Amino acid sequence: MKLDPAIRDQVLATVPSLRAFAISLCGNIDRADDLVQETLLRALAHIDSFQPGTNMPAWLFTILRNLFRSEYRKRRREVEDADGRYAETLKSHPEQTGRVEFSEFRAALGKLPSDQREALILVGASGFSYEDAATICGCAVGTIKSRVNRARTRLADLLAIDSVDDFGPDRATRAVLAGGGRT
Amino acid sequence: MTTSKPVNLQPPAANADKAETRDEMGKSGTHRRSEVRLGREVQARIGQQLRAMYDDVVSQGVPPHIDELVRRLSEQDDGAA
Repeated sequence: MKLDPAIRDQVLATVPSLRAFAISLCGNIDRADDLVQETLLRALAHIDSFQPGTNMPAWLFTILRNLFRSEYRKRRREVEDADGRYAETLKSHPEQTGRVEFSEFRAALGKLPSDQREALILVGASGFSYEDAATICGCAVGTIKSRVNRARTRLADLLAIDSVDDFGPDRATRAVLAGGGRT
Repeated sequence: MTTSKPVNLQPPAANADKAETRDEMGKSGTHRRSEVRLGREVQARIGQQLRAMYDDVVSQGVPPHIDELVRRLSEQDDGAA
């Protein structure tokens, strides 16, 4: 049976955001595009389990996140090492992570524990409600809220510290600091 | 006597009022006040950065190979299995 074009269009409409989420999870565009592709293959193969009228983005994000998590475990035996590896990916392939002006911000994001990072992205960038984010991550709403809060606090620390110490402030970080000081 | 310096006193007091009463639990002085303010500013900038970074990717739209993949799979008679 052919896929309803309306459903197909909903899938396509979600792809740009799905990609942005994948890149922020992987820290690497090539891997992210593989992940998106795999997600779509999986989703279209199981499109019957999607209920028309429900939240297509949340459905696709859930599949992508689950795939990412299970591959994560397959590829890297120790889950605890995953965050360190992410940071390494950023260091060794800065050209694959996106535009230069976001590199420092991405690096700081890469230092967050992955559960905090995904919560922050889902709520702060993808624009999901706390409830949808909780569904996507398979946890309680309160858990999402506290992860987002911790992520924000940690990110503020990281950006402030990085700019003063090792790295030297780039434009973005200087803007953060200047904005804070001036007003 | 009482009218000697109302001009000096009032503007800072009015300003402090706005910044302080909402932000704080007590008046622990300028340090705390600016810390809270810095925190808020930083949080606002973090939010902007986060969205700018994300939207930068979103604005790239659907890559051609993915568009093709989805259209091809959705035309298949078998479903995608």
